[in-house]
Amino acid sequence: MNNIAFNIALPLLAAFLLPVIHNGSAKASRLVGPFVLLAMCWFAAAYFIFIEHPVALALGGFLPPLGISFHLDQLSLLMAVIIPLMLLLLWPYTNREGFREEALLLLLAGASSGMALSGDLFNIYVFYELLSVASFGLAASTHNGAAFAATFRYLVISGLGTVLALTGIGLIYTQTGTLNLAHIGQLAAQLDNNVGLAAFALIVLGIGVKAEIFPVNGWVPEVYATAKPRISALLAGLISKLAVLAIVRLLVVAYADTDALSLLLVLGILGIIWGELSAWRAKDLKRMFAFSSIGQLGMVLVAFSIPGEAGMFAGLAMMLHHLLVKPALFMLTENWSGSISSLTGAARQSPLGAALFILFALSLIGVPPFPGFWAKLIMVTGLVGADDSLYLLALGILLTATVIEANYLIRCAIQLYAPADENSSQSAKHGRLTLSISSALGVVLIISLFSITPLGNKLYQIAAEASNRSLYINTTLSNAQVPALRKIQ
Amino acid sequence: MSMLDTLLLISLLTVLLTGLGQRVTFIGWIATLLLTAQLLTLLLMGKLGYGGEIIDASFGFSILGQPLNWRYDALSWFFALITIGSALAGSAFAAGAWGDQYRKEGGNPGLLQFSIALNVLAMLLLLGSGDLLSLFIGWELVSWASLLLMVIAGGRASEFGMRYIVYATAGAMAVLAGLAIIFQLTGSFAYDDLAAVAPALNTLQIVTLTLLFFFGFGIKMGLLPFHLWQADAYAETPGPGTAFLGAISSRMGLYAILVVIIQLIGLVRLIEIEIPYSFLSLRDLLMWVAAISIIIPTFIALRQSDARRLLAWHGIGQGGYMLIGLLVLDPYGSAGGLMHVFNHATYQAALFLSVSAVIYRTRTSDLNRLGGLVTRMPLSFLVMLIGIIGLAGIPPMNGFVSKWLVYRSLIIEGMPLLFVASVIGTLGTILSVYKLIHNTFLGQLRLEHEHIREVPLSMTIPMLVLSAIVFITGFMPGLVLDWVGSAQVALGMPQLAHTLGGVESTQGSLDMIWVCSVLFGGFAVGALLFYSGNKAKRVHQLDNYAGGHFLTADVRYHYSDNFYAGLMHHIGSWYRGSFLWLESSLISVVSSLSGGAQLLYNSFHPALYLLMAITLSLYFFIG
Repeated sequence: MNNIAFNIALPLLAAFLLPVIHNGSAKASRLVGPFVLLAMCWFAAAYFIFIEHPVALALGGFLPPLGISFHLDQLSLLMAVIIPLMLLLLWPYTNREGFREEALLLLLAGASSGMALSGDLFNIYVFYELLSVASFGLAASTHNGAAFAATFRYLVISGLGTVLALTGIGLIYTQTGTLNLAHIGQLAAQLDNNVGLAAFALIVLGIGVKAEIFPVNGWVPEVYATAKPRISALLAGLISKLAVLAIVRLLVVAYADTDALSLLLVLGILGIIWGELSAWRAKDLKRMFAFSSIGQLGMVLVAFSIPGEAGMFAGLAMMLHHLLVKPALFMLTENWSGSISSLTGAARQSPLGAALFILFALSLIGVPPFPGFWAKLIMVTGLVGADDSLYLLALGILLTATVIEANYLIRCAIQLYAPADENSSQSAKHGRLTLSISSALGVVLIISLFSITPLGNKLYQIAAEASNRSLYINTTLSNAQVPALRKIQ
Repeated sequence: MSMLDTLLLISLLTVLLTGLGQRVTFIGWIATLLLTAQLLTLLLMGKLGYGGEIIDASFGFSILGQPLNWRYDALSWFFALITIGSALAGSAFAAGAWGDQYRKEGGNPGLLQFSIALNVLAMLLLLGSGDLLSLFIGWELVSWASLLLMVIAGGRASEFGMRYIVYATAGAMAVLAGLAIIFQLTGSFAYDDLAAVAPALNTLQIVTLTLLFFFGFGIKMGLLPFHLWQADAYAETPGPGTAFLGAISSRMGLYAILVVIIQLIGLVRLIEIEIPYSFLSLRDLLMWVAAISIIIPTFIALRQSDARRLLAWHGIGQGGYMLIGLLVLDPYGSAGGLMHVFNHATYQAALFLSVSAVIYRTRTSDLNRLGGLVTRMPLSFLVMLIGIIGLAGIPPMNGFVSKWLVYRSLIIEGMPLLFVASVIGTLGTILSVYKLIHNTFLGQLRLEHEHIREVPLSMTIPMLVLSAIVFITGFMPGLVLDWVGSAQVALGMPQLAHTLGGVESTQGSLDMIWVCSVLFGGFAVGALLFYSGNKAKRVHQLDNYAGGHFLTADVRYHYSDNFYAGLMHHIGSWYRGSFLWLESSLISVVSSLSGGAQLLYNSFHPALYLLMAITLSLYFFIG
């Protein structure tokens, strides 16, 4: 059987070797990335399909809680599959400027796989740092002043966040004496106090910088507005979800029954309000999507804050839907930059692009029968089921936000189809690659529309497993396997 | 495969063919043909209209553990008949000469036909919904499909469509919240489960659910205070599309209210709930909303100077009659309300088509730029005449019967104030429809319209068929009352005892055959007197004199601008646009809030926010 550790080792190795390979043969270096990503897909998918129950892998020869451990359940493996798939989709195939971006993307792939799979708080932190470094480089890869300024802002706030997260992790260590998530889960009672909750708050806000959590997301609009659409798609679609998942893992194992839920709920509500309101007023498409993704992440956070399986189910549904839709929308901003009013008549120049825009917008709003509706339905029933006035408030805000969202998205759609002005000479045509990426995501959306029931069942199964705290603890602490890493090598 | 499957398949086929055949020049006729096929299939299901068994669709889904199924009962059949009928009228009207001209002006008749077909499919799905989830899906499909129909004209129509979709989404979200609450209470979306649980719900739950659904579904009917979107959005749709929307679209809201509030939650519960510090029950409150929705839009219609807007505003007002009748919950009222859905659709479609015919020839629907067209377009005039008699609720047209039933029920059930409110509404209706026909067809002919001819046959036939229906169902209301009676039974309401000519009961009888006979007898006497006198001399329409002087055609001696100046002098100050003000201030609030929200992202203190956030969260846990 393949070893999932390759999913981290391989891309990191490839990232560091890429300059060497590039010196040898530029052509070969361009092949390395896609090949590595395909291999990652293969490993992770094999695990995802054949795994019957969660497995913990101990690396380095020590069993947890002492050793470094990976937690392989369906959720982490699903993310491990999605990461290389997404990167393959958004890979710079036409890039001829050297290997930097490729190397950074591979670094990102390895770090994010590590974050998804790791069952250890400190490792999560390390991979998070690695991921940050890669994302700074990617955000600045446009090479212009605005992008550098935005990235600098991103860097400062992300750095501060990292310090906070590290403080939080330190606090957890002082309380429990361990950083293994399962072990922390076992000792969760020791964290249900002021220090423990403060640690959670520090970690949420620290890691939340990447998860676009309100109010530590000040970097979002500028970075997404200046970065390449591919990079914005990656950051908004994938990276933010990984950060959310890290928080959710910690929440499930250690803080599921505490006030921590209400912190997430409040931050989520504020995120929805701020994101959607700002998006309503945004003047250009990129910023509008940036703000809208802040709002959407707020919804995801609210969904995850619903107690129990229902919350995990709703959260995953909202999260995966956003992961599918937002990258596609960001890809469409290529050549649709500038103010929204200049997009008049763009549908005539790029009919497929406009049709895809409408498809994704409708799904994002949650118009039945698109998948976004089902995600929203799961979330709405979950919120009512939580049976708490704060959750009902969240429901009201979610529904109001949907109205605002419908307003600004459809306003854009109508603008696209309005008859063009004579004097608008700007080309609004999409490149073939952009269109094929968006279309591919569109096809996935349509397929999932027709297979909602099996998808829903699978997702529920994943959610039930991921929200099962004792399963998580037992998997790691009693059944951990030491993989024979050397043998394979 | 059941008949319902066939119906939905043909409808889907219509959508696909019209969607694919955008460039085909005779696409309109294909659409008309397919809609006729739909109508025939529906008529084959005609047993439903006479108390037949419920027809189930043989397909069904289970999504996320929730079954979704579709079935047709007498109520669905009744509404579906009106839907397909009005779509057919619109589609046939657009298929021939109208479509050719529309294409010449840069429009796309294929897109119009496609939108109509799509709306029909969505509506048929909504009407067949067998559980709350499929109801919601159908509801949203209808909402978004009608957006397409509203925006295809482009320009200002897009703005109005945008406004519509904001209202519609708000309504849909209210419905979604209601559905979530029901799911929490019953654990499913099935109708039966809700009906079973409803009697055990407490007052708060009933009130919450009722208001959420009434708000959500009422928006589509344009009930006050959510009426602002409708008239503009409907009026800017291309002609036949307006006729279709005006005839049936907003009735979908009524259908949903009927199913969810009246049938499932149960009107009886609403009557029991008293509103504190008032004499009203919850049901009375809803009735008053309906009554105000009659009066205010009707008097707004009176002020319109655009024929399409005038009619569209009446559409909202007439919806109030239907709702008020159904909320009375006696055989008369509910029969009147349901019958008015049919009647309104027929005369409203006829009226919109006749206005479209006028626009086709004159290029305008501005009531201040028309007049005297009666001799030029006599058939269109006849259609409009029949239509406005129906709309005003005057015998012998069908609108009279349904309104009579509603009035009768209000009197029988002892609701005099609501009765007065409805009568005030009717007064406004009569005044404004007179303005409509006077400014269009009567009065002074404009010079530029001197050489106008009647519209081609492809347009007159649909109009004349509709007018014939308006008259026949007025002359023999029993035809429609049969279907209405079955629908009442399907809703679990007492059935109205009726005959072919009307109602036969101790509480009030109406025999339209007799009424019409007397009326036409009177006309006959009048005609006899008229034609037995001296032969009248026919003069040209532009051959006019005043005070012994010849009036040249460019002198405007016949006023149409500022119509009803005297009346407006008295009631003009009551038009304050308060709702418009309310709407615009709401938009300003959202706008300034979002400005504030953006400020946070515009200033360069992200690190500061982070520290503030962490302080607050620590305080949240520790403080």
